[in-house]
Amino acid sequence: MELFIGVSGINAFDNPGPGVGVAKSLKEDKELKAKIVGLAYDAMEPGAYMDWVVDKAFILPYPSSGYEAFINRLYYVKETFGLDFVFPNLDAELPLLIKYQEELGRAGIKTFLPTAEQFKLRGKDRLEEVAAKIGFDSPRSLVITSYDELYKAVEKLGLPLMVKGVFYKAYKANTLPEAVSHYNKIVAEWGYPVILQQVVYGDEMNVVGAGDGEGNSLGVVGIKKLWITELGKIWTGVTVKNEKMLQGAEKFISELGWKGPFELECIVDTKENKVYLIEINPRFPAWSYFSTGVGVNIAANIVRKAFGMPIREFKDYEAGKLYVRFTDDLITDMERFQKLLVRGES
Amino acid sequence: MQRIAQLAINEEGFVFDPVQGESFTVNQTGLLIIKALKEGKSQEEIIRELVNRFEVDEDKARIDLVDFIEKLRSLNLL
Repeated sequence: MELFIGVSGINAFDNPGPGVGVAKSLKEDKELKAKIVGLAYDAMEPGAYMDWVVDKAFILPYPSSGYEAFINRLYYVKETFGLDFVFPNLDAELPLLIKYQEELGRAGIKTFLPTAEQFKLRGKDRLEEVAAKIGFDSPRSLVITSYDELYKAVEKLGLPLMVKGVFYKAYKANTLPEAVSHYNKIVAEWGYPVILQQVVYGDEMNVVGAGDGEGNSLGVVGIKKLWITELGKIWTGVTVKNEKMLQGAEKFISELGWKGPFELECIVDTKENKVYLIEINPRFPAWSYFSTGVGVNIAANIVRKAFGMPIREFKDYEAGKLYVRFTDDLITDMERFQKLLVRGES
Repeated sequence: MQRIAQLAINEEGFVFDPVQGESFTVNQTGLLIIKALKEGKSQEEIIRELVNRFEVDEDKARIDLVDFIEKLRSLNLL
Protein backbone atom coordinates (compact mmCIF):
# COMPACT_ATOMS: atom_id res chain seq x y z
CA MET A 1 0.00 0.00 0.00
CA GLU A 2 1.34 3.41 -0.91
CA LEU A 3 0.97 6.17 1.63
CA PHE A 4 0.40 9.71 0.37
CA ILE A 5 2.03 11.98 2.93
CA GLY A 6 1.67 15.75 2.81
CA VAL A 7 4.75 17.62 3.99
CA SER A 8 4.85 21.40 4.42
CA GLY A 9 7.81 23.68 5.07
CA ILE A 10 9.59 22.63 1.87
CA ASN A 11 11.31 25.98 1.62
CA ALA A 12 15.01 25.18 1.60
CA PHE A 13 16.89 28.44 1.18
CA ASP A 14 18.65 30.69 3.71
CA ASN A 15 16.02 30.05 6.38
CA PRO A 16 15.30 26.40 5.66
CA GLY A 17 12.05 24.76 6.68
CA PRO A 18 11.95 21.25 8.12
CA GLY A 19 9.96 19.79 5.21
CA VAL A 20 12.68 18.52 2.89
CA GLY A 21 14.44 16.73 5.76
CA VAL A 22 11.17 15.15 6.89
CA ALA A 23 10.39 14.08 3.30
CA LYS A 24 13.86 12.54 2.93
CA SER A 25 13.37 10.63 6.19
CA LEU A 26 10.02 9.24 5.04
CA LYS A 27 11.45 8.17 1.69
CA GLU A 28 14.24 6.29 3.47
CA ASP A 29 11.75 4.00 5.22
CA LYS A 30 11.00 1.80 2.22
CA GLU A 31 8.23 -0.08 4.03
CA LEU A 32 6.13 3.08 4.12
CA LYS A 33 6.13 3.31 0.31
CA ALA A 34 5.67 7.04 0.85
CA LYS A 35 4.49 9.29 -1.94
CA ILE A 36 5.49 12.75 -0.77
CA VAL A 37 2.99 15.51 -1.41
CA GLY A 38 4.79 18.83 -1.10
CA LEU A 39 2.57 21.46 0.49
CA ALA A 40 4.00 24.86 -0.45
CA TYR A 41 2.89 28.45 0.02
CA ASP A 42 4.93 29.84 -2.83
CA ALA A 43 5.75 28.54 -6.29
CA MET A 44 9.41 29.27 -5.58
CA GLU A 45 9.78 26.86 -2.66
CA PRO A 46 12.71 24.68 -3.73
CA GLY A 47 11.23 21.44 -2.40
CA ALA A 48 8.53 21.68 -5.07
CA TYR A 49 11.27 21.15 -7.68
CA MET A 50 13.15 18.38 -5.89
CA ASP A 51 11.33 15.55 -7.65
CA TRP A 52 13.56 12.88 -6.12
CA VAL A 53 12.12 13.80 -2.72
CA VAL A 54 8.75 15.40 -3.47
CA ASP A 55 6.49 13.45 -5.85
CA LYS A 56 4.00 16.23 -6.47
CA ALA A 57 3.61 19.71 -5.04
CA PHE A 58 0.52 21.79 -4.35
CA ILE A 59 0.27 25.45 -3.44
CA LEU A 60 -1.81 26.02 -0.31
CA PRO A 61 -3.56 29.19 0.83
CA TYR A 62 -2.02 30.61 4.01
CA PRO A 63 -3.61 29.28 7.20
CA SER A 64 -4.42 32.89 8.07
CA SER A 65 -6.77 33.01 5.07
CA GLY A 66 -9.17 30.95 7.14
CA TYR A 67 -10.25 27.44 7.92
CA GLU A 68 -12.42 26.81 4.88
CA ALA A 69 -9.94 27.72 2.16
CA PHE A 70 -7.13 25.80 3.87
CA ILE A 71 -9.05 22.62 4.69
CA ASN A 72 -10.83 22.55 1.32
CA ARG A 73 -7.48 22.72 -0.40
CA LEU A 74 -6.34 19.64 1.55
CA TYR A 75 -9.56 17.86 0.50
CA TYR A 76 -8.82 18.81 -3.10
CA VAL A 77 -5.32 17.31 -2.80
CA LYS A 78 -6.82 14.12 -1.38
CA GLU A 79 -9.38 13.81 -4.16
CA THR A 80 -7.13 14.60 -7.10
CA PHE A 81 -3.85 12.98 -6.04
CA GLY A 82 -4.09 11.36 -2.65
CA LEU A 83 -3.45 12.50 0.94
CA ASP A 84 -3.46 9.98 3.78
CA PHE A 85 -1.42 11.97 6.30
CA VAL A 86 -0.35 15.56 6.83
CA PHE A 87 2.95 16.53 8.44
CA PRO A 88 2.72 20.23 9.27
CA ASN A 89 6.20 21.63 9.77
CA LEU A 90 5.46 25.31 10.23
CA ASP A 91 4.29 26.96 13.44
CA ALA A 92 1.53 28.94 11.75
CA GLU A 93 -0.23 25.78 10.52
CA LEU A 94 -0.44 24.09 13.88
CA PRO A 95 -3.32 25.86 15.66
CA LEU A 96 -5.64 25.31 12.72
CA LEU A 97 -4.67 21.68 12.17
CA ILE A 98 -4.81 20.88 15.89
CA LYS A 99 -8.31 22.33 16.02
CA TYR A 100 -9.59 20.44 13.00
CA GLN A 101 -7.58 17.21 13.29
CA GLU A 102 -10.67 15.12 14.06
CA GLU A 103 -12.57 16.47 11.10
CA LEU A 104 -9.59 15.75 8.84
CA GLY A 105 -9.32 12.29 10.32
CA ARG A 106 -12.96 11.57 9.46
CA ALA A 107 -12.19 12.61 5.89
CA GLY A 108 -9.33 10.10 5.78
CA ILE A 109 -6.48 12.55 6.35
CA LYS A 110 -4.58 11.53 9.46
CA THR A 111 -2.37 13.80 11.55
CA PHE A 112 -0.19 13.23 14.61
CA LEU A 113 -0.27 16.39 16.63
CA PRO A 114 -0.12 17.58 20.22
CA THR A 115 -3.39 18.46 21.94
CA ALA A 116 -4.43 22.12 22.14
CA GLU A 117 -3.45 22.07 25.83
CA GLN A 118 0.02 20.66 25.06
CA PHE A 119 0.48 23.20 22.29
CA LYS A 120 -0.06 26.02 24.79
CA LEU A 121 2.91 24.75 26.82
CA ARG A 122 5.24 25.90 24.07
CA GLY A 123 4.53 29.50 25.07
CA LYS A 124 7.58 31.20 26.50
CA ASP A 125 5.47 32.21 29.49
CA ARG A 126 5.07 28.49 30.39
CA LEU A 127 8.74 27.47 30.07
CA GLU A 128 9.47 27.51 33.80
CA GLU A 129 6.52 25.23 34.48
CA VAL A 130 7.60 22.72 31.81
CA ALA A 131 11.27 22.88 32.84
CA ALA A 132 10.37 22.07 36.46
CA LYS A 133 8.29 19.08 35.34
CA ILE A 134 11.10 17.52 33.31
CA GLY A 135 14.01 18.21 35.66
CA PHE A 136 15.50 21.10 33.67
CA ASP A 137 16.37 24.53 34.97
CA SER A 138 15.00 27.64 33.43
CA PRO A 139 16.42 31.12 33.32
CA ARG A 140 14.63 33.40 35.78
CA SER A 141 12.07 35.34 33.79
CA LEU A 142 9.34 37.89 34.33
CA VAL A 143 6.31 38.61 32.16
CA ILE A 144 5.69 42.33 31.77
CA THR A 145 3.15 44.60 30.11
CA SER A 146 4.28 48.13 31.05
CA TYR A 147 7.32 50.40 31.38
CA ASP A 148 6.87 50.40 35.13
CA GLU A 149 7.09 46.61 35.23
CA LEU A 150 10.03 46.73 32.82
CA TYR A 151 12.10 48.96 35.14
CA LYS A 152 11.28 46.79 38.15
CA ALA A 153 12.10 43.59 36.24
CA VAL A 154 15.48 44.93 35.07
CA GLU A 155 16.28 45.76 38.69
CA LYS A 156 15.31 42.27 39.83
CA LEU A 157 17.00 40.26 37.07
CA GLY A 158 20.05 42.45 36.50
CA LEU A 159 21.80 43.12 33.19
CA PRO A 160 22.43 41.81 30.60
CA LEU A 161 19.07 40.13 29.97
CA MET A 162 16.98 38.84 27.08
CA VAL A 163 13.88 40.70 25.94
CA LYS A 164 11.48 38.29 24.25
CA GLY A 165 8.10 38.19 22.56
CA VAL A 166 5.76 35.46 23.76
CA PHE A 167 6.17 33.44 20.55
CA TYR A 168 8.76 35.16 18.41
CA LYS A 169 11.86 37.33 18.59
CA ALA A 170 14.46 37.68 21.28
CA TYR A 171 17.00 40.46 21.76
CA LYS A 172 19.83 40.80 24.22
CA ALA A 173 19.91 44.03 26.21
CA ASN A 174 23.11 45.17 27.88
CA THR A 175 21.73 48.42 29.24
CA LEU A 176 18.38 49.78 30.45
CA PRO A 177 17.86 52.00 27.35
CA GLU A 178 18.52 48.95 25.17
CA ALA A 179 15.95 46.96 27.13
CA VAL A 180 13.39 49.76 26.65
CA SER A 181 14.13 49.94 22.92
CA HIS A 182 13.78 46.15 22.46
CA TYR A 183 10.59 46.20 24.53
CA ASN A 184 9.11 48.84 22.21
CA LYS A 185 10.16 46.91 19.11
CA ILE A 186 8.54 43.69 20.32
CA VAL A 187 5.34 45.39 21.44
CA ALA A 188 5.03 47.15 18.05
CA GLU A 189 5.52 43.92 16.12
CA TRP A 190 4.03 41.19 18.31
CA GLY A 191 2.03 42.96 21.02
CA TYR A 192 1.89 42.16 24.75
CA PRO A 193 3.09 40.59 26.95
CA VAL A 194 6.86 40.79 26.78
CA ILE A 195 9.18 38.46 28.66
CA LEU A 196 12.40 39.53 30.35
CA GLN A 197 14.77 36.67 30.94
CA GLN A 198 18.06 36.19 32.76
CA VAL A 199 20.98 35.44 30.43
CA VAL A 200 22.43 31.98 31.02
CA TYR A 201 25.76 30.70 29.78
CA GLY A 202 26.74 27.30 28.42
CA ASP A 203 26.66 25.21 25.27
CA GLU A 204 23.74 25.53 22.88
CA MET A 205 22.32 22.04 22.54
CA ASN A 206 19.06 20.80 21.08
CA VAL A 207 16.98 17.66 21.23
CA VAL A 208 14.66 16.41 18.52
CA GLY A 209 12.13 13.80 19.49
CA ALA A 210 8.57 12.61 19.26
CA GLY A 211 6.05 11.12 21.65
CA ASP A 212 3.18 8.78 20.85
CA GLY A 213 0.70 10.62 23.07
CA GLU A 214 0.61 7.68 25.48
CA GLY A 215 3.88 8.47 27.22
CA ASN A 216 6.15 6.45 24.93
CA SER A 217 9.07 7.71 22.89
CA LEU A 218 9.24 7.45 19.11
CA GLY A 219 12.91 8.42 19.16
CA VAL A 220 15.12 11.11 20.74
CA VAL A 221 18.46 12.53 19.52
CA GLY A 222 20.60 15.26 21.10
CA ILE A 223 22.94 17.54 19.18
CA LYS A 224 25.21 20.49 19.69
CA LYS A 225 25.29 23.28 17.14
CA LEU A 226 28.87 23.86 16.03
CA TRP A 227 28.32 26.57 13.44
CA ILE A 228 25.20 28.58 12.74
CA THR A 229 24.25 30.99 9.99
CA GLU A 230 23.50 34.66 10.58
CA LEU A 231 19.85 33.67 10.96
CA GLY A 232 20.80 31.26 13.73
CA LYS A 233 20.26 28.18 11.57
CA ILE A 234 22.54 25.23 12.13
CA TRP A 235 24.94 24.35 9.33
CA THR A 236 27.36 22.14 11.21
CA GLY A 237 26.48 20.10 14.27
CA VAL A 238 27.50 17.04 16.21
CA THR A 239 25.49 14.38 18.04
CA VAL A 240 25.97 14.46 21.81
CA LYS A 241 24.91 12.31 24.71
CA ASN A 242 24.19 14.59 27.59
CA GLU A 243 22.30 12.26 29.91
CA LYS A 244 20.48 15.00 31.79
CA MET A 245 19.24 16.57 28.56
CA LEU A 246 18.13 13.25 27.05
CA GLN A 247 16.43 12.16 30.27
CA GLY A 248 14.58 15.50 30.29
CA ALA A 249 13.39 14.87 26.74
CA GLU A 250 12.15 11.41 27.72
CA LYS A 251 10.31 12.98 30.67
CA PHE A 252 8.81 15.58 28.32
CA ILE A 253 7.27 12.64 26.48
CA SER A 254 6.24 10.59 29.50
CA GLU A 255 5.18 13.33 31.97
CA LEU A 256 3.35 15.51 29.48
CA GLY A 257 2.08 12.68 27.27
CA TRP A 258 3.37 14.70 24.33
CA LYS A 259 2.03 13.61 20.97
CA GLY A 260 3.94 14.33 17.78
CA PRO A 261 7.37 15.76 17.01
CA PHE A 262 9.13 18.39 19.10
CA GLU A 263 12.41 20.19 19.52
CA LEU A 264 13.77 21.35 22.87
CA GLU A 265 16.29 24.16 22.67
CA CYS A 266 18.62 24.12 25.65
CA ILE A 267 21.66 25.83 27.12
CA VAL A 268 23.77 23.24 28.88
CA ASP A 269 26.10 24.27 31.67
CA THR A 270 28.27 21.17 32.02
CA LYS A 271 30.26 22.57 34.95
CA GLU A 272 27.17 23.04 37.11
CA ASN A 273 25.35 20.08 35.48
CA LYS A 274 22.44 22.34 34.58
CA VAL A 275 20.27 22.16 31.50
CA TYR A 276 18.30 25.35 30.88
CA LEU A 277 15.18 25.05 28.75
CA ILE A 278 15.13 27.99 26.35
CA GLU A 279 12.43 27.08 23.88
CA ILE A 280 9.98 24.33 22.96
CA ASN A 281 9.09 23.91 19.30
CA PRO A 282 6.01 21.72 18.74
CA ARG A 283 7.29 20.45 15.39
CA PHE A 284 10.44 19.17 13.73
CA PRO A 285 13.46 21.46 13.48
CA ALA A 286 15.02 22.15 10.07
CA TRP A 287 17.87 19.74 10.90
CA SER A 288 15.64 16.76 11.75
CA TYR A 289 17.19 14.62 9.00
CA PHE A 290 20.28 14.48 11.23
CA SER A 291 18.46 12.02 13.50
CA THR A 292 17.54 9.83 10.52
CA GLY A 293 21.16 9.95 9.37
CA VAL A 294 22.33 8.49 12.70
CA GLY A 295 19.73 5.73 12.54
CA VAL A 296 16.79 7.25 14.42
CA ASN A 297 14.04 7.86 11.87
CA ILE A 298 11.56 9.75 14.03
CA ALA A 299 9.38 10.99 11.15
CA ALA A 300 8.90 7.44 9.85
CA ASN A 301 8.04 6.23 13.35
CA ILE A 302 5.32 8.87 13.64
CA VAL A 303 3.71 7.66 10.42
CA ARG A 304 4.13 4.03 11.53
CA LYS A 305 2.35 4.80 14.80
CA ALA A 306 -0.42 6.71 13.03
CA PHE A 307 -1.13 3.77 10.71
CA GLY A 308 -0.73 1.02 13.30
CA MET A 309 2.49 -0.30 11.79
CA PRO A 310 5.21 -1.67 14.13
CA ILE A 311 7.41 1.03 15.64
CA ARG A 312 11.15 0.77 15.08
CA GLU A 313 12.85 0.72 18.49
CA PHE A 314 15.87 3.00 18.57
CA LYS A 315 17.77 2.24 21.71
CA ASP A 316 20.89 4.10 20.83
CA TYR A 317 22.74 6.39 18.46
CA GLU A 318 26.39 7.23 18.25
CA ALA A 319 27.75 10.44 19.76
CA GLY A 320 30.26 12.34 17.64
CA LYS A 321 28.45 12.06 14.30
CA LEU A 322 28.81 15.19 12.24
CA TYR A 323 26.06 17.08 10.41
CA VAL A 324 26.98 19.34 7.52
CA ARG A 325 24.38 21.33 5.61
CA PHE A 326 25.28 22.55 2.15
CA THR A 327 23.65 24.50 -0.63
CA ASP A 328 23.06 22.98 -4.03
CA ASP A 329 21.60 24.12 -7.32
CA LEU A 330 19.14 22.68 -9.77
CA ILE A 331 18.36 23.61 -13.36
CA THR A 332 14.93 22.88 -14.76
CA ASP A 333 12.32 24.16 -17.21
CA MET A 334 10.46 27.39 -16.64
CA GLU A 335 7.29 25.46 -17.42
CA ARG A 336 7.40 23.79 -14.03
CA PHE A 337 7.32 27.18 -12.32
CA GLN A 338 4.54 28.38 -14.63
CA LYS A 339 2.46 25.28 -13.91
CA LEU A 340 2.82 25.71 -10.15
CA LEU A 341 2.02 29.38 -10.37
CA VAL A 342 -0.96 29.13 -12.72
CA ARG A 343 -2.48 25.79 -11.77
CA GLY A 344 -1.31 25.68 -8.17
CA GLU A 345 0.16 22.19 -8.55
CA SER A 346 3.14 20.58 -10.20
CA MET B 1 31.21 8.04 36.02
CA GLN B 2 34.11 10.41 35.41
CA ARG B 3 33.76 12.27 32.15
CA ILE B 4 37.22 11.14 31.03
CA ALA B 5 35.97 7.55 30.81
CA GLN B 6 33.41 8.66 28.22
CA LEU B 7 35.89 10.40 25.92
CA ALA B 8 36.23 8.99 22.43
CA ILE B 9 39.88 9.02 21.31
CA ASN B 10 41.72 7.94 18.21
CA GLU B 11 45.36 7.10 17.62
CA GLU B 12 46.04 10.45 15.96
CA GLY B 13 45.17 12.31 19.13
CA PHE B 14 41.67 13.49 18.27
CA VAL B 15 39.52 13.52 21.38
CA PHE B 16 35.72 13.96 21.41
CA ASP B 17 33.69 14.65 24.53
CA PRO B 18 30.18 13.24 23.88
CA VAL B 19 28.66 15.04 26.87
CA GLN B 20 29.61 18.54 25.84
CA GLY B 21 30.13 18.01 22.10
CA GLU B 22 33.64 19.52 22.31
CA SER B 23 36.61 18.12 20.44
CA PHE B 24 40.30 18.50 21.25
CA THR B 25 43.61 17.45 19.79
CA VAL B 26 46.43 16.18 21.97
CA ASN B 27 50.00 15.11 21.21
CA GLN B 28 51.29 11.59 21.82
CA THR B 29 52.13 12.40 25.45
CA GLY B 30 48.62 13.68 26.08
CA LEU B 31 47.16 10.65 24.32
CA LEU B 32 49.16 8.28 26.53
CA ILE B 33 48.00 10.09 29.67
CA ILE B 34 44.32 10.16 28.66
CA LYS B 35 44.36 6.49 27.73
CA ALA B 36 46.03 5.59 31.02
CA LEU B 37 43.56 7.66 33.05
CA LYS B 38 40.66 6.02 31.20
CA GLU B 39 42.11 2.65 32.20
CA GLY B 40 42.23 3.81 35.82
CA LYS B 41 46.02 3.75 36.14
CA SER B 42 47.66 5.57 39.06
CA GLN B 43 49.84 8.67 38.64
CA GLU B 44 52.95 6.63 39.52
CA GLU B 45 52.13 4.07 36.84
CA ILE B 46 51.60 6.80 34.27
CA ILE B 47 54.91 8.46 35.18
CA ARG B 48 56.70 5.12 34.67
CA GLU B 49 55.05 4.74 31.26
CA LEU B 50 56.08 8.27 30.27
CA VAL B 51 59.69 7.65 31.31
CA ASN B 52 59.78 4.36 29.39
CA ARG B 53 58.15 5.69 26.26
CA PHE B 54 59.65 9.17 25.93
CA GLU B 55 63.13 10.56 26.54
CA VAL B 56 62.28 12.20 29.82
CA ASP B 57 63.35 11.82 33.44
CA GLU B 58 60.94 11.11 36.26
CA ASP B 59 60.83 14.67 37.63
CA LYS B 60 59.99 16.19 34.27
CA ALA B 61 57.36 13.50 33.62
CA ARG B 62 55.75 14.21 37.00
CA ILE B 63 55.59 17.95 36.34
CA ASP B 64 54.07 17.41 32.90
CA LEU B 65 51.53 14.92 34.22
CA VAL B 66 50.38 17.18 37.05
CA ASP B 67 50.12 20.05 34.60
CA PHE B 68 48.07 18.01 32.15
CA ILE B 69 45.78 16.68 34.87
CA GLU B 70 45.11 20.25 36.02
CA LYS B 71 44.19 21.12 32.44
CA LEU B 72 41.74 18.21 32.31
CA ARG B 73 40.26 19.35 35.64
CA SER B 74 39.78 22.86 34.32
CA LEU B 75 37.78 21.34 31.45
CA ASN B 76 35.74 19.31 33.96
CA LEU B 77 36.92 16.09 32.40
CA LEU B 78 38.30 14.87 35.73
